[in-house]
Amino acid sequence: MIPEKTACDRFETEALLLLEQGQPLDDHFSSCPDCLEARASYDRLRGGLTSLGRHDEPRPDWQAAVWAEIDRRKERRRRWSPWWIAPVALAAMAALFLIWIPGQTPAGLRIEIEAGTTIRRGTEAQPGDLLRLAATTGGARHSELRVYRNDTELVLRCSDEPPCSRRRGKLTASVVLDGVGRYQPLLIFSEKPLPDVASDLDADTDAALTAGAEVELGPRVVVR
Amino acid sequence: MLSPVHDSQELPRAVLPDPERTALAALDRRSPEEALAILMREYGSAVYRYCRQMVGDEDLAEEIQQMTFVQAYEALPKFARRSSLRTWLFGIARHRCLDAAKMTRRRRKRFGPLEDAPDLPVPGASAEDRLAERSRAGALEKCLQKLAPHIRDAVVLRFQQGLSYPEIARLSGEKAPTLQVRVARALPLLRRCLEDEGMAP
Repeated sequence: MIPEKTACDRFETEALLLLEQGQPLDDHFSSCPDCLEARASYDRLRGGLTSLGRHDEPRPDWQAAVWAEIDRRKERRRRWSPWWIAPVALAAMAALFLIWIPGQTPAGLRIEIEAGTTIRRGTEAQPGDLLRLAATTGGARHSELRVYRNDTELVLRCSDEPPCSRRRGKLTASVVLDGVGRYQPLLIFSEKPLPDVASDLDADTDAALTAGAEVELGPRVVVR
Repeated sequence: MLSPVHDSQELPRAVLPDPERTALAALDRRSPEEALAILMREYGSAVYRYCRQMVGDEDLAEEIQQMTFVQAYEALPKFARRSSLRTWLFGIARHRCLDAAKMTRRRRKRFGPLEDAPDLPVPGASAEDRLAERSRAGALEKCLQKLAPHIRDAVVLRFQQGLSYPEIARLSGEKAPTLQVRVARALPLLRRCLEDEGMAP
């Protein structure tokens, strides 16, 4: 039985790459009819690809459109030029600074009562419980935490020294509620030095207000 | 013998065609407007034709062509002269075309093929010739669109734009031998596609 003759595919499998690589082809390709036919076919294909779209032209006014876009971009950039961006950025940064610097957060006083291992935010306590105070001073130059018992006894007064501690504009302290009575925590803050104390809640508060200080009263804690 | 041009070197002006030298001289005078005008005059149509084959859509091709020159204008003052302006310009167009071609491919997958663009008359040929050429060109364009964008890119730059493999390698960042293999493998695909379309080359 005579095997069916198959077409030679060496042009596709070898010669196409050799041609793209700029290599010479061997003699087979100039004598093999299949390869000659394939070569003619690929030459036409290359020709078709080379002339593809040769009559295609962009619209006549395309260059004007390019210049118009360039002008538009220049104008947009001019409008966004840095002469006003800089002041605006500066103002934004200043605003952020005012908002975020810890000392400038609004003044306030918060308390917690620690009874053993339990912490609660109520105002009822028992002797031996720990009263924790945390205050933000609004960036004031002078500030103090105080706790008065029964309005007439100063059981805590501190600023930067223990039992107070100041961190990132936050003033904290703690005091043991060692006896029954009413405990009044307060925060006093001012740009000026704070006046001396008389260990009396009303008198000290009056003196502070008279001296231009501000007073923030915390919740009164009753120890029974 | 000329030494090979490496990426880090400036191209010697003597090897550049006249319009490029004129454009570079304009850049030396700090006149990107003049340089751009030369580039648009010399390469405007070529960039459009390249984009047209890459994205298969006239309006999109025109949009990309225009944005290529706008982007070129903005980048001209920083042109590093490591390639010809033509290669550099096609590098810009190529990025935009590949992005658009990928988008078109995704859109076709999702929504089916786009409508064929209307055929334009071919000037200076008989009606019969025009018809035959239009059919062949139409079939070839259709087959090109079936190739993956990066393969189509190499084929179009090689044949339609007549760029050398080192030039294509420079603007695509790929190696010339890789591109040669890519093109050699694409040609049989195109041939078979044309046969399927009843347009044996």
